[in-house]
Amino acid sequence: MGGLFSSLFGRLWGEKEVRILILGLDGAGKTTILYRLQIGEVVTTIPTIGFNVETVSYKNIKFQVWDLGGQTSIRPYWRCYYANTDAVIYVVDSADKDRVETSKEELHSMLEEEELKDAALLVFANKQDMQGAMNAAEVSEALGLSTLKNRQWSIFTTSAVNGVGLNEGLDWLVNIIEGKNK
Amino acid sequence: MYTLLSGTYKYLTRREEYYVMIIGLDNAGKTTLLERIKALFLGVPALPPEKIAPTVGLNICKVDIKSARINFWDLGGQRDLHSIWANYYTECHAIVFVVDSTDKARIEECKETFEKIIMNDNAEGLPILMLANKQDIEGALRVEEIKEVFNQIALKLGARDSRVLPISALEGHGVQEAVDWLFLRLQRNKINRPPVFQ
Repeated sequence: MGGLFSSLFGRLWGEKEVRILILGLDGAGKTTILYRLQIGEVVTTIPTIGFNVETVSYKNIKFQVWDLGGQTSIRPYWRCYYANTDAVIYVVDSADKDRVETSKEELHSMLEEEELKDAALLVFANKQDMQGAMNAAEVSEALGLSTLKNRQWSIFTTSAVNGVGLNEGLDWLVNIIEGKNK
Repeated sequence: MYTLLSGTYKYLTRREEYYVMIIGLDNAGKTTLLERIKALFLGVPALPPEKIAPTVGLNICKVDIKSARINFWDLGGQRDLHSIWANYYTECHAIVFVVDSTDKARIEECKETFEKIIMNDNAEGLPILMLANKQDIEGALRVEEIKEVFNQIALKLGARDSRVLPISALEGHGVQEAVDWLFLRLQRNKINRPPVFQ
């Protein structure tokens, strides 16, 4: 009975919680993006060891956003968080051409996981404010996104520092999530 | 014995799966079309057009018709993204090319893009359906006028099945006919491009 009421309430007020993971190599800007989304400000960050989790409300949807540390030694722990994930935001440092190959490998090994089979993929080609940053097509090519055939994906060029592109990405995510729940 | 039975069961209930690409220039209405197909076949309300942002990536829609499943791949149409299309040709079974019939200024660009697609070796023999979209808008080019433009390169199509149909993705006119046409060609082209089995 209580469950019925709470689900009815949830429907009336339209606030559903959606679980999002922010992943990517270290120094890609994951934590900066998380706090830019939550409080709309650029915060000074230190390398994340462990995770940050925040709730972000956007267009009547409550996102529970997990930002996991990206260093090599702690990447194996990402998989502990995969269950029940609705979407993955994958952040890439567009100016770091040396490590984009590593980023590609991590992305594809992550997407092979059974638990993420139905998760949508949103890629942020971040750090567009830096000189020599790759554009959306170059990043998607470098990450091998076009080999993904059974997953909805989208890429947006962003600059977390300037707040550019983040909302467009979230808008896409909102559409996907609303479509899924119908 | 169990293996035999379960194998037979699986064989009898297996589903043919086809992949169809929806491509064309940006702002042609590809995602609107995809949403319309979703609404028509899956009964989910279509995303209102004002909510559809330019696609940079891949949108997917799965539709079951009879015993087959058609997967639509809606790819972004911006110039930078055309290079991505080529990666999908080898695995798809048909191509839908959407044209904005109201955009006369870009019809030449449209033709060039179309030519590149049909000249790609990996797309050889694929049925091609061209959709003259936005027929709901007054002053839109009619199917005959669009055919005239593309007839110049019709020779390059070769022996494949192709067709131009008028649609309005926004209002839904012609979408059913378009999918029906596709479904038939997918079946006929089975020998060249066998379906994937689930």
